[in-house]
Amino acid sequence: MGEKIRIGFYALTSCYGCQLQFAMMDELLQLIPNVEVKCWYMLERDSSEVEPVDIAFIEGSVSTEEEVELVKKIRENAKTVVAVGACATQGGVQSWTDKPLEELWKTVYGDAKVKFQPKKAEPVENYIKVDYKIYGCPPEKRDFLYTLGTLLIGSWPEDIDYPVCLECRLNGNPCVLLEKGEPCLGPITRAGCDARCPAYGIACIGCRGAVGYDVAWFDSLARVFKEKGLTKEEILERMRMFNAHNPKLEEMVKRIFEGVKE
Amino acid sequence: MRYVKLPKENTYTFLERLKEWGKLHAPVKISEKFYDFREIDDVRKVEFHYTRTIMPPKKFFFKPREKLFEFNIRKAEYRETIEDVEPFVIFGVHACDIFGLKILDTIYLDELPDKYYKVRREKGIIIGISCMPDEYCFCNLRETDFADDGFDLFLHELPDGWLVRVGTPTGHRIVDKNIKLFEEVTTEDICAFREFERKRSEAFKYHEDWSDLRYLLELEMEHPMWDEESEKCLACGICNTTCPTCRCYEVQDIVNLDGETGYRERRWDSCQFRSHGLVAGNHNFRPTKKARFMNRYLCKNAYNEKLGISYCVGCGRCTAFCPAGISFVRNLRVILGLEEKTCPSEITEEIPKRGFAYVQNLRGDGL
Repeated sequence: MGEKIRIGFYALTSCYGCQLQFAMMDELLQLIPNVEVKCWYMLERDSSEVEPVDIAFIEGSVSTEEEVELVKKIRENAKTVVAVGACATQGGVQSWTDKPLEELWKTVYGDAKVKFQPKKAEPVENYIKVDYKIYGCPPEKRDFLYTLGTLLIGSWPEDIDYPVCLECRLNGNPCVLLEKGEPCLGPITRAGCDARCPAYGIACIGCRGAVGYDVAWFDSLARVFKEKGLTKEEILERMRMFNAHNPKLEEMVKRIFEGVKE
Repeated sequence: MRYVKLPKENTYTFLERLKEWGKLHAPVKISEKFYDFREIDDVRKVEFHYTRTIMPPKKFFFKPREKLFEFNIRKAEYRETIEDVEPFVIFGVHACDIFGLKILDTIYLDELPDKYYKVRREKGIIIGISCMPDEYCFCNLRETDFADDGFDLFLHELPDGWLVRVGTPTGHRIVDKNIKLFEEVTTEDICAFREFERKRSEAFKYHEDWSDLRYLLELEMEHPMWDEESEKCLACGICNTTCPTCRCYEVQDIVNLDGETGYRERRWDSCQFRSHGLVAGNHNFRPTKKARFMNRYLCKNAYNEKLGISYCVGCGRCTAFCPAGISFVRNLRVILGLEEKTCPSEITEEIPKRGFAYVQNLRGDGL
């Protein structure tokens, strides 16, 4: 390997859990000969958010006007932009609600003054082009290793386009949806978590977001949930938790309830 | 063939003895409704009357996930990581699942053997067990309800024990080493065996001829069933991953952060996933959910010319474990004209064109 690869890890509004997850990986030490960390406050005090990098990792959702400017600047300075975690890729749980910003603001801050201009939380790709995404809340170490390792050798990582159900089967778990009739979002949710929750008998809440490429069948799953007695609102609320910005969700769920006597 | 009798009171001792031949696996209850093959410590947990395991026994030979080799990019080297497999015993395999393994053998052992599958297949001891069908079973229609080979021992239930068919030299050795546990088969046992088999064959839900099914499926590409049923499908792939004969896998190379070393891993794949038909240039030869849905029906009902049966062995898993409640059997019977008499089905074009190439609503957008 010739020149060192420059990487940056940037945080928008978030819990910093994503970068903490990766900062604690022992494997990071292997990077030292090949990589220069230009920005990663959790690892490097002398970080700078404005230096050019080869790979930029961004965690958090765009939630202030200032962050809109920051992500634009990161994009200008980076060859490859990777959105990391549920907030950066899907807007996070803070996108769940459809209440107006003013109401949300008042609930949390009352009349207090702050130094930034708030916005409703949105995924990074609503503002800049995102080249690759690492999903999850928090993301999996395996995904980070795979992404960075693949990018380091000048190749391109594959996206995950299959649901959690696959991993439930690879691990031989019982099916929560089928056996307990619980509203498991496994069939529409992107795999990669090794079906951690269903392995403990807990229905998937979809933290890794719906599978992309229009293969998240919200409608078919809504039909199954409806047959189990869930209302349209209950289904929408559950599916929106990590998919508030998915353009297909509402329309597909509503289709199942069309022409149905309620 | 050699026949012996295992008296009921010796069953658990026999199971204990099986552990001497390798790690023992058998069906156990893993949750309220599901069974699976698990490693057995306490032989009293073994279920002799289970319906079907959620995971088929293929998982012992074709691992759900496995490392194939390690590589070094700088040195341009790779090293296969074939496990040193210890002998193991799978007790309680139903006839349909034995046929499932035989089908996998025709793919993974004949001609170009898969090393990883082969090494496990050579070390696995298979002990079959008789069963009574439930509402989802249709192995009788697939002619896979009685295994002639593919097992070391096969236990047929008798009122007071088991009639054991010995299938291989290993089977002989297991019997010989434990000869004191066995007795000779009596005339009453033969009567009981005959009676069990008669009851079993009567217990199947359907008694009909499916021999023209694979051709009807190809001819009925325009049948409304395809749209209606694929619409319900979640594309979760459970039908594939619980299938004893699905054998597709996906591979991925994982590079370590040293930018030099890494490994290749494979895992079970499903033809219900988008990337299954995805090829270079972002082309997809099965671009819609309907196309992928149809693919499984055609693949499962295709003719395995080496065994002279279809690739579906009638175990009922894809129906019993479908979270969307899609019934494979019902849908096949619709095509066979056995569910409802709708002949002729609707034809939209002036000149009817038949076959996969002419199917409507299959190609998807942007093609």
